[in-house]
Amino acid sequence: MSGQFSGEPMLDMYIFETNQNIEQLEKCILDSERSSCYTQAAINEIFRIMHTIKGSSAMMLFSNISVLAHSIEDLFYFLREQKPDNIDCSALSDYILAGIDFIKLELRKIEDGEKADGIPDNIIEDIKSFLRQIKSENPDNSSVQEDKRASAEQPRYYITPNKINKSIAANTFKAVIFFEDGCEMENIRAFTIIHNIREFTEEVFYFPEDIIDNDDSINVIREQGFKIYLKTRKSHKELSVFFNQTVFLRYLELEELKDDSEFYGLKDKTGSDNAGAGSAVIAHMDTVHRENQDREVAVNSGQSIISVNISKLDKLMDLVGEMVISEAMVTQNPDLGGLQLENFQKAARQLHKITSDIQDMVMSIRMVPLAITFQKMQRIVRDMGKKLEKEVELELIGEETEVDKNIIEHISDPLMHLVRNSIDHGIETKAVREALGKPSAGKITLEAKNSGSDVVILVKDDGKGLNKESILEKAGRNGLLTKPAEEMTDKEVYNLIFLPGFSTKEKVTEFSGRGVGMDVVVKNIESVGGSVAVDSWEGTGSVITLKIPLTLAIIDGMNVLVGNSRYTIPTKAIKESFRPGSKELIKDPDGNEMIMVRGNCYPVLRLHEFFRVKTQVTGFTEGILIMVEHENRTVCLFADELLGQQQVVVKALPQYIKARRKVKGLTGCTLLGDGSISLILDIGSLVSI
Amino acid sequence: MKKVLIVDDASFMRLSLRTMFENSGFEVAGEAGNGLEAIKLYAKLRPDVVTMDITMPELDGIQALKSILDIDKNAKVVILSAMGQEERVKEAILAGAKTFIVKPFKEEHLIQTLNKIANN
Amino acid sequence: MEEATERKLPEKQLQDGEEDTQKGRFLTFNLDRESYGIEITHVTEIIGIQPITEIPELPDYIRGIINLRGKIIPVMDVRLRFRKTFREYNDRTCVIVVDIADISIGLIVDSVSEVISIPDTEIVAPPEVGKGGNKYVKGIGKVHGEVKLLLDCNKLLNEDDSEYLINI
Repeated sequence: MSGQFSGEPMLDMYIFETNQNIEQLEKCILDSERSSCYTQAAINEIFRIMHTIKGSSAMMLFSNISVLAHSIEDLFYFLREQKPDNIDCSALSDYILAGIDFIKLELRKIEDGEKADGIPDNIIEDIKSFLRQIKSENPDNSSVQEDKRASAEQPRYYITPNKINKSIAANTFKAVIFFEDGCEMENIRAFTIIHNIREFTEEVFYFPEDIIDNDDSINVIREQGFKIYLKTRKSHKELSVFFNQTVFLRYLELEELKDDSEFYGLKDKTGSDNAGAGSAVIAHMDTVHRENQDREVAVNSGQSIISVNISKLDKLMDLVGEMVISEAMVTQNPDLGGLQLENFQKAARQLHKITSDIQDMVMSIRMVPLAITFQKMQRIVRDMGKKLEKEVELELIGEETEVDKNIIEHISDPLMHLVRNSIDHGIETKAVREALGKPSAGKITLEAKNSGSDVVILVKDDGKGLNKESILEKAGRNGLLTKPAEEMTDKEVYNLIFLPGFSTKEKVTEFSGRGVGMDVVVKNIESVGGSVAVDSWEGTGSVITLKIPLTLAIIDGMNVLVGNSRYTIPTKAIKESFRPGSKELIKDPDGNEMIMVRGNCYPVLRLHEFFRVKTQVTGFTEGILIMVEHENRTVCLFADELLGQQQVVVKALPQYIKARRKVKGLTGCTLLGDGSISLILDIGSLVSI
Repeated sequence: MKKVLIVDDASFMRLSLRTMFENSGFEVAGEAGNGLEAIKLYAKLRPDVVTMDITMPELDGIQALKSILDIDKNAKVVILSAMGQEERVKEAILAGAKTFIVKPFKEEHLIQTLNKIANN
Repeated sequence: MEEATERKLPEKQLQDGEEDTQKGRFLTFNLDRESYGIEITHVTEIIGIQPITEIPELPDYIRGIINLRGKIIPVMDVRLRFRKTFREYNDRTCVIVVDIADISIGLIVDSVSEVISIPDTEIVAPPEVGKGGNKYVKGIGKVHGEVKLLLDCNKLLNEDDSEYLINI
């Protein structure tokens, strides 16, 4: 980490901001590439971002990132100033993206507390040689050169015009100035002094003379000091005060010269008088200055957006959760039992309203649009299309749809995998597409939309679609078929691709191979309480549908009692609950219990047996059945009694327990109003037992 | 306590500067993320000294510097520049910046510079 | 400091206490007739026994989870961890909440006795006793002629016992 800052917030901020910059940069590059080439605005933007990354990284002593950013900045400086045409934009994008990838990787290391030890030399060399190449193709003929000249003509010998005639009784001084080591840009510091001296001096000249356009002047100043000869009416003392105000002054030697001979002797050797130039520059600046004043009216108000560490939001969420529980503890306090408390009830209702408003507000703070996640896919489409020589367009719909921050993190990888899969296996090559009479460019559509308390994300492609025969064949070969192929609906066949063990690819390709199959996608999505489905039309494409909850943090739940244990069932999974009659119960020869409800037969799962909980309520008619459904599978859960419905704050099971054993049937736990813990049932896994 | 206005488009830099200033007995009067904000905040807060980044969106540091000097000809503005920006720094000095610091800088250099400028 | 005040283990002291003052200091507790010690740096607080929510399919010594002021932590019955017989909890039963490598966990013990200092010179390595319950003991401290078995918390939490391995 950095030598200057041991403070974590600084590092957090660095990582956060640099990541943000990188994202913006990547988007800028991909946008530019799509609109065929880089606009001036894009070039300015990239230059500015690289400049920022360079500065911040240097401050944090991540010199590899800083040096790389510097080389890209140089490249864009050239593009900005020279505006060369005939740039190979695709190659340019490749170089910059390589740089971005490097920085991303290093940032990842830094985030993980590792050393940012990557060596960007190759990338830098590539960028430099690319810059050399475009420089040679676009010889330096315009403004940069002129700027240089103009700067060289800046006053090295300066006589303030209105003072030139007043050189009466002026004293002549020689000053030698040394700056502190490491203050950088000594030539400009020298320039600053000269600029300030003109306020009160009659005549001045200095060594080295070419402080602006000759980089070697820095070394001369460092080694021999900056020597100034000047005529002024100020006294030695006044002058000494002036020089001592110089920032980074390490050593000053100030001597009054007895006669003018040394002064004039040296003066003649220096360049010609150029007093006019400085004033001209200043005059010009004044006009610019005015223009700015006009713009000043349009100044907008200060920052309206702040960034907050996500862990603080998590903490806030926890606190709000506890507040909700406390509210229930107060308003449903057993001490109030049987009392008629009209005013209390009124106040309690008000409290309840405010608590739920706060809850909604906190939830909304945590919501972030899918746009960034979606935008990341642009890069994948670009890279893969290029590698596989397929033309692919990516269409994004509903990017503004918002999801809880924690969920976003879980869907980014699955989405990436799905998009890769679509390009790799869905979209045909250009030749094939043309032969089939399809547009030569394939199209992938990412679409997000809200649907109740869920967000639905569709990954559509217009490729060849899934092949039923080969899926069936493959599933059969891997022993994944649970019923005869003839009895399966198309959808059931397609969904076989999500089973673990299906994606044993014959051909592992660079992108979607890696032994990672669709089952990993499913696992990831299910871990946030979502589901995955696929549909396909042979020859015209496939659609994969991800259904994910808006948030993980709070759910509506029905609390049930089993023995001394409490369980919470997500309300959205409950179809109905009822007291069973004994005659509806059916037992199959294996002892599996089932129940007939309105002519349909559903399996019964006794929670006390499943979770091995001791309870008095084992008689079928004594308890209650809760019918739950998940993805068209239904099961009736048997519990002692219903405790009531409420919103619960989902808490994860302790990591220590999750790491030991995957606990079947539970997604987490929550705290009830009386401080007891209720375990939240994972309906998805219960229905598939 | 001397009041300083921080102008930089990178929030990381603003945080770095703020930390350094607060460690060293400066009062951070405000932070601006671009030139326009800087001008507005200068007029409002009248800080003793301003640290000004050059490369910023909306309105760059040099333009902002000029407008600030228009509001207050005695404004003390210290330019924060990066290596390779010699031309712009020179422009800033001509426009009236008191001095400049080159990123990456050390805390002691920053504070020493600010002390010198603020107390003159 | 008086023993009496130490026994209460004010939270403040435990949380803010500097490493130095805590070095060589152990919280001792009892299981049957043996006295065990656990480094005080790991201990965040001591509470009475709480209602425990059982979680299925876990090794028997992980009794379940408890609600520690809104934070949900697992609890381990140290008797069962050492393959001693289960003993009903009573008002002497304590939960020692420890924080080890970012894991918070409650250790259920018969009773807590005191905080003592044991200099390094008074600690010897445990004897090799086959594969018995000794693997969680990293040292034996001698205090006033009594023997304290000093626990290796990391192993206590993370060492998989053979029974668990077979079950995978």
